[in-house]
Amino acid sequence: MKLDPRTKMVMVLCLSGLALLYNTPGRLLLLLAVTVAMLLIFRFDLGAIGSYLKPFLSLMVFLFVIQCLFAPSGCVLLAVGPVPLVTTGGLLTGAGVVLRIVVVTAAAMLLATFNARDFILGLVQWKVPYELAFMVSIALRFLPVFRDELVNVVTAVQLRGVDLKKVPWGQKITMYSRLLFPVIYGAMLKAQRLAVSMEARGFRVYPRRTYLRRLEFSRADYVVLTVFPAAAIALVIRHINLLAH
Amino acid sequence: MSFLEIDHVSFTFPRHDKPVLTEIDLHFDQAVITALVGPNGSGKTTLTKLMIGVLRPACGEIRLDGRPLVEYSLGEIGRRVGYVFQNPDLQLFCGTVAEEVGFGLANRGCQRETVEERVAFYLDYFELKDYGGVFPLHLSQGEKQRLAIAAVLANEPLFLVLDEPTVGLDAYRKRLLEDYLKKISRSGRGMVLVSHDTAFVDRVAERVVILENGRVIEDSGRKGKAADEA
Repeated sequence: MKLDPRTKMVMVLCLSGLALLYNTPGRLLLLLAVTVAMLLIFRFDLGAIGSYLKPFLSLMVFLFVIQCLFAPSGCVLLAVGPVPLVTTGGLLTGAGVVLRIVVVTAAAMLLATFNARDFILGLVQWKVPYELAFMVSIALRFLPVFRDELVNVVTAVQLRGVDLKKVPWGQKITMYSRLLFPVIYGAMLKAQRLAVSMEARGFRVYPRRTYLRRLEFSRADYVVLTVFPAAAIALVIRHINLLAH
Repeated sequence: MSFLEIDHVSFTFPRHDKPVLTEIDLHFDQAVITALVGPNGSGKTTLTKLMIGVLRPACGEIRLDGRPLVEYSLGEIGRRVGYVFQNPDLQLFCGTVAEEVGFGLANRGCQRETVEERVAFYLDYFELKDYGGVFPLHLSQGEKQRLAIAAVLANEPLFLVLDEPTVGLDAYRKRLLEDYLKKISRSGRGMVLVSHDTAFVDRVAERVVILENGRVIEDSGRKGKAADEA
């Protein structure tokens, strides 16, 4: 199925918004199922989600453990003396946090089903200033760059003979926190170089831009643009009502 | 038994149909400088990444010091094989140049005095002494290249894999690198260097392997002629 990039952006907003709102694994799993179905419709390779999530696996495990330990509720499954360590509520909260990350990442993959040029064009046709649209597209392009940068650093550290698996957690955290600054600064330097390169190629030389192509909504776009936001608003209202009661 | 053995190795990138490397059979001994040459896209860098375990072969086996490479962690490989990336930006991650050179040693539990002594030596040798406190990514391309090489050599690995080590180096610094690599080779350590710099290969390499379209088309002990042809 071929949809307008703007339609897909609305879908991503709806799915991510609901993922941030929900905190129970059941609902988040349903949301994940919808997201995966959408990705399959757009013929997205689901294996790529795994590779995007892989570098964040340790963070997700960390968040899961933290939630399990520090959000106790329900039945106690494991305790040390009077201190509950693992509870049913803690496990559900932990699973909810991890699922939320997975849903948001999977939903963002919908943005990868069209090219950056269409993304900018879509935003500009929504009257977003070109510079702002371009900035957003660059920011999206920088996310995988930043991820690759982190992967490169971890590989380079190990190739200097440091066995990260054997480094104690305390030392590992110190090492990572020291490496974080150069990685962020390196990304900033790259952004600076990109800005110079863009200006050298005449970015914003003329005040007005013209476009060869124009995006047009199809009937399918109108259907999705009606169904998705309507369903999302209905679910938000239902969720608020449930919380109120 | 060679130090690094590549047997019937083929490799294809995920979601690609065309193999990058096909049926590669190469053995690398200690104390020998081998140059890996060939046109762009012939699979040289991919082969070096397979040698250091960053990539895994689709079929075939790579052995390091007699043991399959898959049995080593990246850290264990890094202690035995020093790898200089094609792009130095990818391997510089510390806050200062001095820290970068001493990182491996400091994190492997070397005495502080030993680390400082070795850092001072390598900064001096690669003429980076004045940049000890500078952020590595602020250096020029040639300086970054020298730093990447110094940071790997400071670890004193048993074997070296250098991907385009002469890019960005002037003639004088190439000569310095050449002298040092020969010195390392004389001390009994082997190395593989990927290069398009035929003059450098001619002067340094004792063995030249030519890759084309992912296959070894020539493996020659003679130096000079084969590199020129590539």
